[in-house]
Amino acid sequence: MFCPLGDGYLVLEGASSFLAVGRALRRLPLCIETVESEVVQGLDSDDLVAASAPSGGPLAPALMLIELVRRYGMPLVVLPRDHPGSRRLGIVVSAGPVVRIACDIQRGTHPEQDVLCGADEFAGLVLRGIPGGVEVEGGPPGLAIRTVPPLSTGI
Amino acid sequence: MDVEYDERVKGKRFRCRDCGESFEGVGKHPVCPSCQSDAVDAT
Repeated sequence: MFCPLGDGYLVLEGASSFLAVGRALRRLPLCIETVESEVVQGLDSDDLVAASAPSGGPLAPALMLIELVRRYGMPLVVLPRDHPGSRRLGIVVSAGPVVRIACDIQRGTHPEQDVLCGADEFAGLVLRGIPGGVEVEGGPPGLAIRTVPPLSTGI
Repeated sequence: MDVEYDERVKGKRFRCRDCGESFEGVGKHPVCPSCQSDAVDAT
């Protein structure tokens, strides 16, 4: 399903979790920091920045995280496997041309940007950034998708 | 449960022609993390 998207966000709501996704909107370097190294992923304007809240919660922090990445170029920090902080992460972020939701990975411990931790109900869902919007493939029956205008960052 | 993925993202080394920064990049459009230039060369 093609979902047109400008500078706002697409919010995909399940029964107990949600995904929020925005377009990168510009070419930028996304720094991915692991214990061992730094890898820099080049994002294009049609690429996606996706935030997943596998246990649900408020939407605003997810949208803020998307802005921290795409507007302010904040790096993504990847925890080592089995790090105790993984369970504290209510929202996790991935960015790139394609983001696949997986429910069988530990939150915040995978540097690959084409995989994002999500709830069971979103397992297998694929988000693809294409000019002018997002292609959504898969997802639970009755998936609710809505568009949210961009956060005001004029502070 | 945690499915095994490759934990090391493998990129290519690049050097920025504008600022000289050297970095490991992935993706189709490498961009310098220091000066945001896309004038980079694989090394």
